[in-house]
Amino acid sequence: MANAHAHAHAAVHHEPKRYTGLMDWLTTVDHKKIGILYLIAGGFFFLIGGLEAILIRTQLMYPDQKIFVGDTFNQLTTMHGTTMIFFAAMPLLFAFMNAVVPLQIGARDVAFPFVNALGFWLFFAGGVLMNTSWFLGGAPDAGWTAYAPLSSIIDPDGKFHGVDFYVLGLQIAGIGTLIGGINFLVTIINMRAPGMTFMRMPLFTWTVFVTSILITFAFPAITVALIELMFDRLFHGAFFEASRGGNNVLWEHLFWIFGHPEVYILIMPAFGIISEVVSTFSKKRLFGYSSMVFATVLIGFLSFMVWVHHMFTTGIGAVGNSIFAIATMAIAVPTGVKIFNWLFTLWGGNIRFTVANLFATAFIPTFVMGGVTGVMLAVPAADFQYHDTYFVVAHFHYVIVGGLILSVFAGLYYWWPKMFGRMLSEGLGKVHFWLFFIGFHLTFFPQHFLGLMGLPRRYFTYMPGFGLETGNFISTIGAFLQGLGMIVFLINIIVTARKQKDAGNDPWDGFTLEWTIPSPAPEYNFKQTPLVRGLDAFWKEKMAGNKEMTPAEPIGPIHMPSPSILPFVMSLGLFISGYGFIYHHYIVSGAGLVITIISMFLRSLFDDHGWHIEPEELEEHKGGKA
Amino acid sequence: MSEHTHEAVSDESKRHKHEGPRNHNLTYIVSALLTIFAFAAVLYGQLDRTFIILFIVVLGLIQAVFQLFFWMHAKEKGHFFPVIGIAFGFFIALTAVAAAVWWMWW
Repeated sequence: MANAHAHAHAAVHHEPKRYTGLMDWLTTVDHKKIGILYLIAGGFFFLIGGLEAILIRTQLMYPDQKIFVGDTFNQLTTMHGTTMIFFAAMPLLFAFMNAVVPLQIGARDVAFPFVNALGFWLFFAGGVLMNTSWFLGGAPDAGWTAYAPLSSIIDPDGKFHGVDFYVLGLQIAGIGTLIGGINFLVTIINMRAPGMTFMRMPLFTWTVFVTSILITFAFPAITVALIELMFDRLFHGAFFEASRGGNNVLWEHLFWIFGHPEVYILIMPAFGIISEVVSTFSKKRLFGYSSMVFATVLIGFLSFMVWVHHMFTTGIGAVGNSIFAIATMAIAVPTGVKIFNWLFTLWGGNIRFTVANLFATAFIPTFVMGGVTGVMLAVPAADFQYHDTYFVVAHFHYVIVGGLILSVFAGLYYWWPKMFGRMLSEGLGKVHFWLFFIGFHLTFFPQHFLGLMGLPRRYFTYMPGFGLETGNFISTIGAFLQGLGMIVFLINIIVTARKQKDAGNDPWDGFTLEWTIPSPAPEYNFKQTPLVRGLDAFWKEKMAGNKEMTPAEPIGPIHMPSPSILPFVMSLGLFISGYGFIYHHYIVSGAGLVITIISMFLRSLFDDHGWHIEPEELEEHKGGKA
Repeated sequence: MSEHTHEAVSDESKRHKHEGPRNHNLTYIVSALLTIFAFAAVLYGQLDRTFIILFIVVLGLIQAVFQLFFWMHAKEKGHFFPVIGIAFGFFIALTAVAAAVWWMWW
């Protein structure tokens, strides 16, 4: 972007529209602010999903309880799963992608800042749409997988619209995620600072790159599946209705062709975070960088070839099951490479157990346990026993909570100073860690055995006298501990937000470019684009005795994108039209779509060339020398 | 952002001048011929139904390759990632469709 300045500079110089307060957040196209928006929205949905989890565990605390029974329990499990995957885990990862990736590659923004804002608002509109179902007759209740024909059952009275909310909410949020993925793909390919070749990219950026590829190729499958389900539910289609020539197994295939890459979309950036945190706090460069990259790409590729392992009991036959079983087990190899690389990075390192590193080192054994049960589940003959029991529940919570969420916390403690300019309290952080970590294992470890004893998942109760009482009780206590841990974390955030900005540029003695600039990063990120002279660019300069990066360009005017309210309005339009579809008021859906289309026209018809920050203005900011 | 785009456009038009319209004319003629063959295969009326379908699909694939390489610049420099992306997309889609169709309808 830098080279383009001189040439277009004379043509466009107008005062930027500067919004403040709420309007600033609604119109921002700054990747750092969008990252914070993702963090707040994702955190909010994480708390809602967590609350649902605690309600589920409360119902299951003792046998034969009648707190949330039948439909209410189904709604709780469905909304817990859907909220956590689509509206908590995904946006939390997008928060890191936005907050960190442009800084790590030495870019001033993402490739398409407007699209970035649009991606956030679409996700948020979808999430809010779906969660309003609680107040509008009942939430979706067909499981987060929404298998047809269960999900295509329509309430004859027209009062209960649960799954319609699922379809429309996920569809709108899915568009946001898809364009976000494409945006980061283009950003990482095109916007790297001079000298940053692919094999010099920090590992977090590498994992985000692979995740973006997976998003781009996996999300179209769920889009198709949701469109078909929408036609079945709203317009009497028959894609999944066997009696009219449809096939309900089609949903399973489409869902898992998306769904399996989806879990790798979630875990890949987690791997990246762990790689950054473990190497920084061992004061050693990452062991086996190139094998890490290779393993990341290989896992990404294989993730498209294993979806049938979710469908072993569907009746695909021995040959198909065996092929997919072997492909699934093959993933254990590159994953093992990663585990050993992390261990070798820690080996002989000067390890500092900060809260970030506590979470990261706790991740490693926890994730291995989830991986081992994964290989067990990959054996089709055994899977017929495990299928739809708490063993599966234990497995995927070990990889998603024990893998993803632990690394999200590691990343939060690690990058919080870069995002907000303040250090989270280490003391409260340690309390948070121990409560959450112990709570997590108490919750999910007994569930392995409950599953092996035959407790099916998604059942709202169990009878006394089958040996299931102790496991369930411990599990519920663990869930409460995790909730306590989250409360401590919230207190930590509030305490931190109330103190002065205290974070220096480089509080952890980091290796990568984001630590070369002030905390929080200024609007334009880098006053001068840095010149990257090797892997772990900042570490390399530190080893050469330099205090800062060598700039790759003289100080000049910096081109900035203009803020815009259009992404918000576009998403609002789709949000409104979503309700129109759910309630069959097609005038409302039409009106919503018109709002979106008009905004798209406005965006297309009026060129916005952005604005420039002049060198004189840069001098007023602190950080960096002329 | 916007200058970026402008720059890319001017870069591309430069490259076009060097290359001249020869390739475009050629591929236009080839594309027209391929379309005529497809029509001819149906009009001829003597051919087996399955053969016609397969024949047209093959012609369509050839045409798609021409489109990608000559009209959408896939053969030019700096198109490595789009080409890889399209190839990977084909691979994923074909695997998924083939596997799903195989198990559901065969």
